[in-house]
Amino acid sequence: MNNHLISLTVLFPLIGAISQAFVPVPRSRWIALIASLAASACAVILVASMQTQTAEMQAIESFPWVGAYAISYEMAVDGLNALLVLLIAILFPVLISAEWNQQVGVRGLHSLLLVLQTALSGAVCAQDLFLQLFFWGLSALPFYFLVGIWGGEGREKAAFRSTVAATVGNALIFIALIIVYYSIDPHGFSIRELSGGKFAGQHFHFLGYDFQVSWVAFTLISFGLALRAPVWPLHGWFIEMATEGPSTVFVALAAATVPVATYIFLRICYCLFPDVLGTASRIVLAVGAVNLIMGGVCALSQRNLRSLLAYVCLSEVGIVMMGIGSLNATGVVGSVFQQLILGLALAGFGLFSGIISDRTGRSDFLNAQGQRTLGGIAVRAPAVSVVAGVVIVSLLGFPGFGGFVGHSLVVIGSFSVHPFTLFMSGGALLLASYYLFNMYRNVFLGSPGSAVQGFQDLTLRERFYMAPVVCGLLFFGLYPKPLIELIRPTVLTLLSTVR
Amino acid sequence: MKEFLLITPEIFLALTLAFVIAGEITYYGEQVRLITATALLGLGGAFIQTLISYEHGAAQIFGGALSIDGFSLFFKLFFIVLASFAIATVSHSKEIAEARRSEYCALILASTLAMCLIASVADLALAFLSLLLLNVISHFLAAYGKKSILSTEAAVKSMAFGAVAAALFLYAAAILFATTHSLNIYEIHKVLLTKPLDPQVLLVVFVLLLVSLSYQIGAFPAYMVVPDVLEGAPTPVSAFLSLGPRAAGFAFMTRVLVAVFTQPASSAGHWEILGQFDWTKMLSVVAGLSMGIGSLLAFRQNRAKRLVSYLVVAESGFLLIGLLVLDEVGIAALLYSLVIQLFSLVGIFYVLSFLIDQLQADQLDRLRGAMRGAVPECICLVIFLFCLVGSPPTPGFIAKFSLIGAAIRHERSFLAIAGVFSMVVSSAAVARLVYRLIGDFGDLKEFAVLGSRRSPARKVLLATLLVPMVLAGVFAEFLFNWAGQSLGFIFW
Repeated sequence: MNNHLISLTVLFPLIGAISQAFVPVPRSRWIALIASLAASACAVILVASMQTQTAEMQAIESFPWVGAYAISYEMAVDGLNALLVLLIAILFPVLISAEWNQQVGVRGLHSLLLVLQTALSGAVCAQDLFLQLFFWGLSALPFYFLVGIWGGEGREKAAFRSTVAATVGNALIFIALIIVYYSIDPHGFSIRELSGGKFAGQHFHFLGYDFQVSWVAFTLISFGLALRAPVWPLHGWFIEMATEGPSTVFVALAAATVPVATYIFLRICYCLFPDVLGTASRIVLAVGAVNLIMGGVCALSQRNLRSLLAYVCLSEVGIVMMGIGSLNATGVVGSVFQQLILGLALAGFGLFSGIISDRTGRSDFLNAQGQRTLGGIAVRAPAVSVVAGVVIVSLLGFPGFGGFVGHSLVVIGSFSVHPFTLFMSGGALLLASYYLFNMYRNVFLGSPGSAVQGFQDLTLRERFYMAPVVCGLLFFGLYPKPLIELIRPTVLTLLSTVR
Repeated sequence: MKEFLLITPEIFLALTLAFVIAGEITYYGEQVRLITATALLGLGGAFIQTLISYEHGAAQIFGGALSIDGFSLFFKLFFIVLASFAIATVSHSKEIAEARRSEYCALILASTLAMCLIASVADLALAFLSLLLLNVISHFLAAYGKKSILSTEAAVKSMAFGAVAAALFLYAAAILFATTHSLNIYEIHKVLLTKPLDPQVLLVVFVLLLVSLSYQIGAFPAYMVVPDVLEGAPTPVSAFLSLGPRAAGFAFMTRVLVAVFTQPASSAGHWEILGQFDWTKMLSVVAGLSMGIGSLLAFRQNRAKRLVSYLVVAESGFLLIGLLVLDEVGIAALLYSLVIQLFSLVGIFYVLSFLIDQLQADQLDRLRGAMRGAVPECICLVIFLFCLVGSPPTPGFIAKFSLIGAAIRHERSFLAIAGVFSMVVSSAAVARLVYRLIGDFGDLKEFAVLGSRRSPARKVLLATLLVPMVLAGVFAEFLFNWAGQSLGFIFW
């Protein structure tokens, strides 16, 4: 089936971004929103029209791009990436709406968000390694401007650090790609053609030593992606982005880019290096567990909503990695499902914390002496506190919310590999319960502080853009069956190659 | 007669040059001057003539002194487009006064003529004359900012290095002539096939040629002059000098090295070294050092023009990879990379010229926050810079991939590692510049428009650089095919 829905999903935001240069404000805002919504509509139709119970690639679009190097424009969706297509479709119209009233360079901001939507949609759907790196590299560039221009006091340093991390990460992936490309004859980048353990036993000679292609490429790609997703201890730049970046931009990073990074890791490792995964899965599991605990421990001492969000993200990435490393159908399905849920939950967290800091002028909820600086928002703004409540309970994995399904599946899956993961997850959950409820108590409950006097509840526009996030968390928590059915066949097929 | 038909682009350029000089001589204070329009029209005509020349196929003319083939036509188109940009962009520059633009046009046209000859040249004597003509004009162009000490210094250094390079080239040509009794590169090749040179003589000839041409292409060991010239020259001139003489050097170097010092290998589209002396190893060292030194020194610079100049040195190292692998895919990658550099370097220097005009400085600290006053220009500058250093997803990335891939294909792992290292360091150097550009963008109180909104022409010109560059990435397949076809009908 070649219905061009994927290309339209990728192209509409790009057209919207270019049109921002020619259309004056305020019409440009509508153009940006329409372009993003059009792409989202295509994405939703694409996912809704997908066949369940099949592991085959669907909606394939393929034609040669640079034939001399066997680079092709190959796009498709399957169980692994369909949920992320959905996540991006939900998030970006929300982010554009959230930045509706931006006073400084709104056209630039919207166009960069649209470029980011194009880049992430492309990176998710690309089935050619070169094309994937192409879109993945594109996704790094908008952040430089988004943080560097619209960020806080230390924006320049944050933007610089993030770009350097992204550049080094991309370079590592680039080296891996070249090694992979020349290790197989005929040379190629198509994931479909490279998958199935074709690199098992392949070696290359360097400095008088023989190196195993799979291990070298796997290590390079893992480090390359770890520099774009917050993986302890390479997360310094991420925390700086959280504190200096505008809230919507950090949402785009934490809720959209980070899940895409974990997806690329999952896709490449399971498709290209199943031979390595047998051994490396335990390392992935251990890194995930460390991330989970370190995120939780660091979050305990946070007094600022933004840095708290960053460490929550660190912790959530740990869960996803544990699922990937479980090599177990339940765990991997949970991990893929959790990518969607963590995106929605972190987006909700980032948006409500952005609203609070916009209205009160501060994002810290405790001062240096440990006294409340906010508090009592629930009285003034019940809608905001309901949104925050839904997000928090989903992050904690309460039954009936999206997080419950994802967390449970990952823990069940990883438990079969090593029972210790259960204790780690339990410990992390206890930590999360403490720091999230503590934050909720200090921000929303109690008597209203001076900073929240006159705090306005969600406006109609804010309710509109918060609705998809909250509804998503509730709906996917109550009725995850169609999505699980979509993911499961692909995961089972991939696991069969690993074994 | 056919011989003249095949050099119609050069004839067009010579006639245009004559018209421009005549226009300047006969200028009598008229309000409307058509020098720029004349020059652009002439270049347009030469461009069309070059396209038409593809129909004639490959031919050797004037007793084998010139080879009109796909390779030379590719470079002729390249030089004509470069000259058009050089003339179009100068109209917005304050560094070259309006009254002196006709001279500037004449110099650009004359150097384009020299470069077109170099693209086709197959005779060492004619090559020497053409290179000398190009370099003499380059010295004039470098000295064009008369009142600037840096510009004068650039011209003097350029002249000193140029004189030494010319002498070394002559020595190499003399040795080749003494041993083969011919100045035609194809004749020399035939003689060398039957009577190979002594490896030590070959080493001397190659080293002399390499050192001489390293000045032309801006690579190690003569790279020291590049930053001084590109920094000292007026910025529009820097754009031209960073591309024109370098590309001409690569055109000549490729033709000479492949035609004289290699022979076709058993597999089609590949060459192997002629004789015992493996000069590709020496070229690898030059490429690796150029990439490493260029990118590391770029990272240390505090002036934007100097930073970009060192990036140019690193880029020359990259381009050498395409040549030293000795296959058509590698040379096609070299040609593709040059096309990408054409748009990116012209774009970089064009925006830098605008910023220097506005701020009277190019120190990174002085550029701090420039983006707040010139958003479209600075965003374009960032894209051009990242494209030059080959960051994904820019078309420069495809170029870098093809060159580094060529190194890996030929098992030159060190060169590939040096390439990736250079890419990362160059990206960091570019990030330093961009970091300063952003500055305090959000501070609306100090919002100062640097004239960007007052010039739609500048935006149009930026679009004419940016759009083809992006299209070069989208239609990379077409460009690689074109480069491949250009190499297909060629005399080696």
